[in-house]
Amino acid sequence: MSTTIETTERERIAFAAVELARHPERPRALQVIAAITSGWTELRGDRLFGDDRAVVGGPARLGGRSVMVIGQEKGTDPMTRALHNFGMPHPEGYRKAVRLMRQAEKFSMPVLCLVDTPAAHAGIGAEERGQAWAIADALLCMLGLRTPTVSVVLSEGGSGGALALALADRVLALENAVYTVAPPETCAAILYRDAGQRARAAAALRPGVDTANRIGLVDELIPEPPPGAHAHAPLVIAAIRGAVIRHLDELRDIPIDELVAERRSRYRAAGG
Amino acid sequence: MDRADAVTSRRQAPRNRLQAPGPELRPTAPTTGTVACPRCKRRFVAERYAADLNVCSECGHHGVVGAAQRIEQLADPNTAETLAVEVGDRDPLGFDDGVPYPQRVARARERTGLHEAFLTARASLAGNPVMLACMDFEFLGGSLGSGAGEIFARACEMAVAERRALVAVCTSGGARMQEGIASLAQMARCSAGVAEVIDARLPYVTILGDPCFGGVTASFAVQSDVIIAEPGARIGFAGGRVIEQATHDKLPDGFQTAEFLLAHGMVDAVVERGRLRDAVGTLIRIYSGRA
Ligand SMILES: [Zn+2]
Repeated sequence: MSTTIETTERERIAFAAVELARHPERPRALQVIAAITSGWTELRGDRLFGDDRAVVGGPARLGGRSVMVIGQEKGTDPMTRALHNFGMPHPEGYRKAVRLMRQAEKFSMPVLCLVDTPAAHAGIGAEERGQAWAIADALLCMLGLRTPTVSVVLSEGGSGGALALALADRVLALENAVYTVAPPETCAAILYRDAGQRARAAAALRPGVDTANRIGLVDELIPEPPPGAHAHAPLVIAAIRGAVIRHLDELRDIPIDELVAERRSRYRAAGG
Repeated sequence: MDRADAVTSRRQAPRNRLQAPGPELRPTAPTTGTVACPRCKRRFVAERYAADLNVCSECGHHGVVGAAQRIEQLADPNTAETLAVEVGDRDPLGFDDGVPYPQRVARARERTGLHEAFLTARASLAGNPVMLACMDFEFLGGSLGSGAGEIFARACEMAVAERRALVAVCTSGGARMQEGIASLAQMARCSAGVAEVIDARLPYVTILGDPCFGGVTASFAVQSDVIIAEPGARIGFAGGRVIEQATHDKLPDGFQTAEFLLAHGMVDAVVERGRLRDAVGTLIRIYSGRA
């Protein structure tokens, strides 16, 4: 066992990384969409129950091609944060995403997903309307979708709520983003029965996207100039645009049967 | 949770069957002790309770059932052949919260006689060739670690290779936190396994036991052709307590129970344990185009 002081320092650093990923001025999905696409037309509603504003999506042009862009939006100020439910989707959000992915498949448009959620929403309505069912459907949809897919983890990729939009052919992540099985607060509540021990959980769970990269859920990290994307939004958004277009170009050349088979075997092996 | 008594009965059940394929899976019923129903507290001779499939004959409460016992309950007599899938020691994060994670796994293995939270078997179920994949809640809360995910994915592949219907019994607290993001990835791995079964057009039936939450529910547990829940089973994504704490909303009566989910259109049927084999067998026979 390390000494208490070392442990505390390690935990402090680990949780500071989580806080950096949660910085309110990091680029948000709508901001990225506005900056890198043209003609983005938001399509709303899941055609079943309602419209979840934590997930936004619609067709757009990007780098000379048509693309379906779907994002988890956290909001940028108190009003928009409440409007977008802090980026925590209800089942309708996942069902809307699946609807748009199917539409992309129909028109042979690649799909770009911008992942940014602490977790799927935990609430009575979300459970009544099948949160787990909606996520499970989105996972299967992404695994079988017959069009190229790219996901970018912007800040927080939390739980199945993030994974549901992240089973893409290529998964990119901003360098300072986190990708976790659950937020450190939840992990601490489960592991130590004390949500207050979130720093300890953060240190133990290695939430940085380098871990996700190592176990096969993330392919490429997009560098952020210090101190992070919150201070260099235009630069980082340009880097996102460049990386996404590069991957879409590569994916375009792969026969679709091969692409789906590769995607399937890649996620069959994910997690070691 | 007042599951202690049912747990005691499980510990008296025969163990260490992992490496024993085929006929040896049949139970040698526990002969000593009594078990109390967790709900009505009525006491039963352990042997009788096991013969009743861990269902209380007084109040109908469905108690916890281990994976090996599940296979016995679902498979036709003397047909189950458990698959000894070795997945080794996995510790992607080097996790240590006072007890190193590999040590926790070792203890769970010793306590349950299982290699992981999943036990799989090829078997005949009401005359149908099936692949059974059963979770065990006693193995670290049925949590979905990378070893468990690998065992399930292999069961999917074997079902496809041998043209067997897939029947999964799901009971889980959710992710295995000690594996962090690698545990999350199992939702993808298991879904990839299910996708193969779907592509092969083989029937896939899931039976959801108490409790079933988190990434298990949000992946393979509900990606099936037919979702059957056991009476009273609590099933959902986020746990009721978590929701209450986060939202301060009062939970509706029966929230997240099998019956509640049936009323909300989330499961196909609530089936008593004693009728599961017949119900699943009939479905598979029909899907397979047999009389
Ligand atoms: Zn009872």
